[in-house]
Amino acid sequence: MVKMRIKVVVTAAVLLGAIGYLAVAGMKTGWVYYMDVAKFVDNGQFYAQRVRLHGTVAKDGFTSSAATMTAHFSLTAKDKSLPVVYRGPIPDLFEAGKDVVVEGKMDNGEFRADVLMTKCASKYEAKKAEHKS
Amino acid sequence: MTVMIGEFSLAMAMLAAAGALLAALASIRLEMPAALKVARWMIGALAGLMLLASGALLTALLQGDFSISYVTEYTEKALPVGYKIAAFWAGQEGSLLLWSLMIAVMSALHVFNRRDQQGTEGATVVAVLAVVCGFFAALMLFAANPFALAEHVLADGQGLNPLLQDPAMIAHPPLLFLGYAGYTIPFAMMVGALVSGRKDNNWVAETRRWSVVSWLFLSIGILLGAQWAYLELGWGGYWGWDPVENASLLPWLTGTALVHSIMVQQQRGMLKLWNALLFSITFILCLFGTYLTRSGIIQSVHGFAPSMIATFFLVLILATTVFSLMLILVRRHQLQSEHQLESLVGREGMFLATNVLLTGIMVVVLIGTIFPVISNALSGQEVTVGASFYNKVIAPFGLLLAAMMAMGPALVMGTDAARKLVRAMIVPVIFGLLTAVAIYLTGIKNGWALLCAAITGTLIVSYLINLVKQVALRIQAGENPLAAFVHLLDGNHRRYGGQTIHIGMMMMIVGITGSGLFVEKQDLSIKEGQSAQIAGYDVKYEKLIERRGPNYKAVQATIVVTDPKGGVQTLYPETQFFDKTTQPHSQIALESNARRDLYINLSAWEANGAVVAMQVIINPLVSWIWVGGIVLSVGGLISLLPRLLPLPASEQVEPTVPKPQPAKSKKRGTAVA
Repeated sequence: MVKMRIKVVVTAAVLLGAIGYLAVAGMKTGWVYYMDVAKFVDNGQFYAQRVRLHGTVAKDGFTSSAATMTAHFSLTAKDKSLPVVYRGPIPDLFEAGKDVVVEGKMDNGEFRADVLMTKCASKYEAKKAEHKS
Repeated sequence: MTVMIGEFSLAMAMLAAAGALLAALASIRLEMPAALKVARWMIGALAGLMLLASGALLTALLQGDFSISYVTEYTEKALPVGYKIAAFWAGQEGSLLLWSLMIAVMSALHVFNRRDQQGTEGATVVAVLAVVCGFFAALMLFAANPFALAEHVLADGQGLNPLLQDPAMIAHPPLLFLGYAGYTIPFAMMVGALVSGRKDNNWVAETRRWSVVSWLFLSIGILLGAQWAYLELGWGGYWGWDPVENASLLPWLTGTALVHSIMVQQQRGMLKLWNALLFSITFILCLFGTYLTRSGIIQSVHGFAPSMIATFFLVLILATTVFSLMLILVRRHQLQSEHQLESLVGREGMFLATNVLLTGIMVVVLIGTIFPVISNALSGQEVTVGASFYNKVIAPFGLLLAAMMAMGPALVMGTDAARKLVRAMIVPVIFGLLTAVAIYLTGIKNGWALLCAAITGTLIVSYLINLVKQVALRIQAGENPLAAFVHLLDGNHRRYGGQTIHIGMMMMIVGITGSGLFVEKQDLSIKEGQSAQIAGYDVKYEKLIERRGPNYKAVQATIVVTDPKGGVQTLYPETQFFDKTTQPHSQIALESNARRDLYINLSAWEANGAVVAMQVIINPLVSWIWVGGIVLSVGGLISLLPRLLPLPASEQVEPTVPKPQPAKSKKRGTAVA
């Protein structure tokens, strides 16, 4: 019966090994650095690769055209900013002043994003502020 | 008044929990059965108090008592009644109350149902449940009070988030919490059995009902969440591998492993240590999800405000982990296996492999979810992993698990299980291959799709052959075909319920494979009266109108879609502007059939509707996921039902033994041979 135990251990190891192998392989393709805009702008080492950035959409220079599904805006964090061009469907909650997450790559001094996510808070923080004022 | 009742009930509930705990411990120490009786009544009182608190919150929501902050934040006067009720679980405080209520009611149900259970085991179960209930009551009193008063009393509330105003959202959170809450009971039963030093395996059989019920609630809850995301978030997907979604998937994966492995312990006295670990892990993962989403350690699109309750949860998680590990370590002699595994491809072997796979997948999802934290700790740089990471692991192993499901009925015990399995699977596999060929001939050449088709064909034929053989045996024994069929199913609820669940799962896998591989998305910008093409579909924009809903106004587009076969559908995607919020909300238009979903999300319009921009998605086989979910639920219900009809005459050979349960495995062996 020791033989059976070895068989079980080997089978389990093979299954888990396969899962682990695929996880590592998936990690390589799905791997994206995530940081705020300030850190991204401060050191240029991430300019050559695809990254995910978070920051606030600046009010100045914000344009968003639904017909062409393009948005131009500056993403800011800690007094640093970065020009962003986003192409794709514009999320409902997207507007100047929002905290957003974008994913994409630098190209000609602009950040070209193809993923744009707005942080949808489960509460109306903005609305609350309005009532208090 | 409602505030007073609510807060008073919560405070009393905490006291009742403390009282139940003390009484239960006293009954062990002083060997006083009367104290245990008191402890049980305390749990009952606790459930009553939680009901009272919930009733108070519900009354406040329905009456629109805007002196309560929670009511102001999540409702408004014009909100339809259904959503006023749903606002109960729209926010953190209400969700916690709902969760607490469910744990308390389930605890009370369990302790009164098992009031025969005396001595250390019964008292330990009560004590564990009292600790968990007490934790939740304290949590609400000190960190997340649903009855907190508003700073300024407003004339009207701020309304419910438009995203949450969806029928799926009414049912999704309660079902998820029923699942989370349910896993508390088997955990407590496991602790009770280990602490009392119980050696037999009957307690495992007793946990089955709770494990299956919780699993079922969790499954339906997750599915409704996926459906909500699909209908409301407007990006055309039902699963985004967001931390919040992953958090609910983690206990589901171990819970799925659990419903299989407890059968092995029940029937063969094996996998005891493993099961004890799984009971603990599943319970801990139910708590972990809340910690993850409320602690702010993970950036999620859902972006919940970080909150004090995270600390509470972290303490409970760590305490439960340490306690479970210590308990299992101390009682390891009690957890020794009674049998050796006879064959790797026999029933136990395959169940063990299922467990290894599901747990492995759980670990991968867990690592992916907390990877930003891990990478930050290791390298000081946050790294997120995207959907491709998860898909790479889940797709092949999901299909492997499906292939194992297909072998289900052909699995037997004993040393020659491998030979029997091969013999039983020849015909189903041939049919599976034929299915793949048929699909290939329709022009689908993707390897994953063909593999999925082959497994589906194999599974269906494998289950059918088994069913026909069993019915035939009964007909040979002299029953008429209908009676044979009915008695067979009625006599094996667990087995055929399980198979129905597997068929539902397979349908979902087909839906996920189809929509994952062949989805067509296009962003279209169309002038009024003109049309555009996507994947053979003609999409024509006719007009744009304004309309008024109960608490919003909407801009609605009329889109006429002609499918490749010439069928015409009119869809009305719209953007809604709710009175109580500045954010517009897209309400997608959906036309669904068995082959594909037609999904249109109106993104914008210009110049009074001269041009509209929209995203059009042709998503194949999505409805299979939802129908699969219904099949799965039906299967779950079947497996939980007791025998409905009186035993047929042919089976009443030994009236002294009413329930020949352990003999089932033997039957299974002969059936396949």
